[in-house]
Amino acid sequence: MSDWKQSLQKTRYVMDGLLLISFMIISAPQATGVPLHEWLSIVFIIPFAIHILLHWDWFKQSFRRLFGKLPAKERFNIVWNYLLYLMMILGFVSGFLVSVALLPALNIDLHIQDFWSKIHHDSCTLLMPMLGVHLALHWGWIAKLTKRMFAKEVSS
Amino acid sequence: MKYLKQSWQRRTLIVMCISVLVSVCMIALENTQWADHINQVGYSHGAEEQGPAEGGKRNMPSYMMYILPFVKEIVLIGVPLLITIGWLKLAGLVKTLMKRIRPS
Repeated sequence: MSDWKQSLQKTRYVMDGLLLISFMIISAPQATGVPLHEWLSIVFIIPFAIHILLHWDWFKQSFRRLFGKLPAKERFNIVWNYLLYLMMILGFVSGFLVSVALLPALNIDLHIQDFWSKIHHDSCTLLMPMLGVHLALHWGWIAKLTKRMFAKEVSS
Repeated sequence: MKYLKQSWQRRTLIVMCISVLVSVCMIALENTQWADHINQVGYSHGAEEQGPAEGGKRNMPSYMMYILPFVKEIVLIGVPLLITIGWLKLAGLVKTLMKRIRPS
């Protein structure tokens, strides 16, 4: 596993693993407490951006491919990834707008609307099953890379 | 990390610009009638999850407060994950059977 930085697939695997762990931590404000949840959500932008940067080629090609001839699974995968991105952005935006620790700490006074509280709760709850489907759509890749990573670990 | 460093500034700028643009569009949602309706009716986050026990606090060990949110996440992510994997395997199986029955 020491050479994971030299392989794009392995770099993606490690970074995606970190993204999943960090997502699970920030999705449990009842466990971490709201102030830590808000500050960690800011830090979460980094692995989220890394995830997009590491799949840059897919993003570049996906929009063009969407209008071409594609198997139904591939088309669904592209649309689902876009929806997941939009839902994630909605979670971020609504999270900022209902912030009780982060924005006051930055001396930004904001009136919290019930609308954004509801949107934040609903969008972030919906993100979890959406993520489950996203993982399932890439399950073949996850299983293959897990075997490769583990095999390398044993041989070294 | 060489793959990440490849023109990362330009790529990050593009991602940030698109994300900010999408965010601004989303903020406009607060001007809709839907938002007005929710604001008028009111919404209290977490109020419905309060238990009936005294003072709204449930009788459970304190460590469960840290474990239960993660259990909820594992269920909410894991169940759709398993259902989708099952569905994909079934679809693959049906496709293979159809090919065997009607080879083109």
